[in-house]
Amino acid sequence: MPNVTQARPAPLNRAGAGRFTRQERLAYTMLVPILGSIFLIVTYPFVLAVIQSLQATNGGAFVGLQNYVTGLENPLLYEALGATGVYAALVLPTEILLGLGLALAVHRTIKSTALRALFFGMAIVPLVIPPIAVGVIARLMYAPSYGAINHILMLTGITHDEINWLGQPITAMPAVASVDVWQWTPFVYLVLFSGFLTVPRDEIEAAQVDGASGWSQFWRIELYYLRPLLILVAFFRLADVLRVFDHVFILTGGGPGNTTQLLSLYLYRVEFKFSDYGQAAALAVVVLIAISVVYSLVTRVLPLERR
Amino acid sequence: MRRIRWAPALVIATLLIGACQPAATPGGAQKPAKLTIAAVQGNEDAALKAVAPLYEQKTGIKIEIVEFPYDQLYEKLVTTFKANSATYDLVMMDDPWMPKFGTDESLQPLDSSYGFKRDSDIPDVVYDVGTWPPPRGAVPPAAKGKAAHLIGITIVGNVEMFMYRSDKGAAPKTWDEVKANADKNKAANFYGYLVRGKATNPVVADFLPILWSFGGDVFDQNWNVTIDNAASLKAVKFLVQDLKAAAQPGPESTDAADRDRLMAIGQGYQSTVWPGEITSVIQNSSVSQVVGKVAYIPMPAGPSGKGVGMMGNWLLGVPKASPNGQAAADFITWLTSTDTQKTYVDNGGIPARKSLLNDAALNTKNPYFSALAKSLDAVPNWRPRTDQWNAVETILGTNLNAALAGTATPEAAVQKAADAIRTLMKGAGY
Repeated sequence: MPNVTQARPAPLNRAGAGRFTRQERLAYTMLVPILGSIFLIVTYPFVLAVIQSLQATNGGAFVGLQNYVTGLENPLLYEALGATGVYAALVLPTEILLGLGLALAVHRTIKSTALRALFFGMAIVPLVIPPIAVGVIARLMYAPSYGAINHILMLTGITHDEINWLGQPITAMPAVASVDVWQWTPFVYLVLFSGFLTVPRDEIEAAQVDGASGWSQFWRIELYYLRPLLILVAFFRLADVLRVFDHVFILTGGGPGNTTQLLSLYLYRVEFKFSDYGQAAALAVVVLIAISVVYSLVTRVLPLERR
Repeated sequence: MRRIRWAPALVIATLLIGACQPAATPGGAQKPAKLTIAAVQGNEDAALKAVAPLYEQKTGIKIEIVEFPYDQLYEKLVTTFKANSATYDLVMMDDPWMPKFGTDESLQPLDSSYGFKRDSDIPDVVYDVGTWPPPRGAVPPAAKGKAAHLIGITIVGNVEMFMYRSDKGAAPKTWDEVKANADKNKAANFYGYLVRGKATNPVVADFLPILWSFGGDVFDQNWNVTIDNAASLKAVKFLVQDLKAAAQPGPESTDAADRDRLMAIGQGYQSTVWPGEITSVIQNSSVSQVVGKVAYIPMPAGPSGKGVGMMGNWLLGVPKASPNGQAAADFITWLTSTDTQKTYVDNGGIPARKSLLNDAALNTKNPYFSALAKSLDAVPNWRPRTDQWNAVETILGTNLNAALAGTATPEAAVQKAADAIRTLMKGAGY
């Protein structure tokens, strides 16, 4: 029997047991800037917020969970949560359905690259306008007496009297939500339109050969491929809804009464108007935990990966 | 590995080099290359920006002005002071913020540290508003017994006044006349009174002069809440019922810019007004159709027999952490001197000096100057001097806005506000 010598792998460049190899060291070194940035931008402020949430606003003495109790006992928090829920219920379905419809329409009907580029450019415009500026413009449009919206409605005979859009509880919230819809529907459109482009062409062609209707192609094939993007977009928009501030502040300042005082506006007031830094930090931590829970539920219940 | 072994030595060397740098002297006696000012963006800092380059020409010290919108400036100052950061050598502050910054001891005393003294050409009330603890009126418990110091100097002599269309009627002497004129002049697309009623700060700013003129107040001298007493409730009803009946559509969402626009396009008869609104819109012929048709007067009298304006001065202060305190104080002295103030006024600035406010030539160019001088002479009120004012204003402004929108009765709104303010003040140790 011949003496067979098996080829052995090259020895790892270890200086000793338990030490990193040169490659491992290089890998960790390259990760340091990223991990450091994440630590500075995310972890460090979060730890500070947690510490602040456990301290008294005046003096910084440790108060345990008192700030959490105070914050969660305040009925204004639940008014703000209710207002945020109404806002989300108005904004999220509208933006997703409109964005999806627009993406589908452009994907199906417009084949010219130049026209698609034009749509792309037009969709970018609302996204790059600062929300403050959008709020100011919307305020002018909704203003009684000289606002463009009332003027158009009266000119076309849709209404005969001016509508006090921002001053009545029943119209203030839809008016505020409409601004969000105008600014963020294009974002949904852009993401979903990109999704339509990734749907395998051969599957669509096979369905067409089998005589599938346009609706069936959308419902059974395209929507299947879009599902992860739809979930992602819905989650992004939900996170944005919890942060929305600028245009609401400009349009109504939270009024009439507390009708449009959304969660972010409420947190701002607790922090900067009531100077209750401990309670504001506690509420911020609660919101962060809540949104993390929602995100993990969404990703577990609804499959993000295509299978 | 060799490089890593060098690391501690490098750190120590860096620290040693840092330690050898000359330390800033107490009070910042060294002449700095520049002074950084945190300022509010808008017409309030326009004149400051215009005259600042003159200071560099005179002294060689560059003035860098970092602007923020109103709310962001407050947030920035709160966080900067909290971190004791030396980012700014000077800060521009609205006078309702002074109790917060005074209580937190965020500013350097200008009198004891830099020798500031009162100037007889400037009304005492202008110095009083920059003094902490306040020299008159209710004093917060935490500030009682402390020595009063000047911590801010007024650079925008704002006092809330009253404006009316002088081409259509005479000046109202009382709020009853205001109401009568509003009803008389109200017509299609012409509103008898413009209510600034947007939630929180705007509606409170419009309401407080009415409240005081009616003999009401938010607190008494001992910090007891009085916003729900009979006089205060009468004032609330006057705003949300009587004046609203003759007001523009949507007063509950109207802010100062909306009011100015309506006045400037000739759709408003009268309202309260701040000097900044006059210079930037009402008297600005490039945007206003009513130049020469509007007159300015101090606040009309209410049932209390007196008309009470409201101070809204913008002040300059030196943060405690500023290493250039002396240079910053020198800049304030230069800016508020009579000579500089003349240039300041030429650039749209709002002075507090009586000699300038009563100057005939300047009154021709600035028709509100004499009303502003009279308002200062009448000693306007300031917003209650408590570090809780922002919270009180938010509570009161939210409930007043609800009453104005009709989602709460005046009685319910006042009661809700009073209860919430009592809870807040009790929790804050008042």
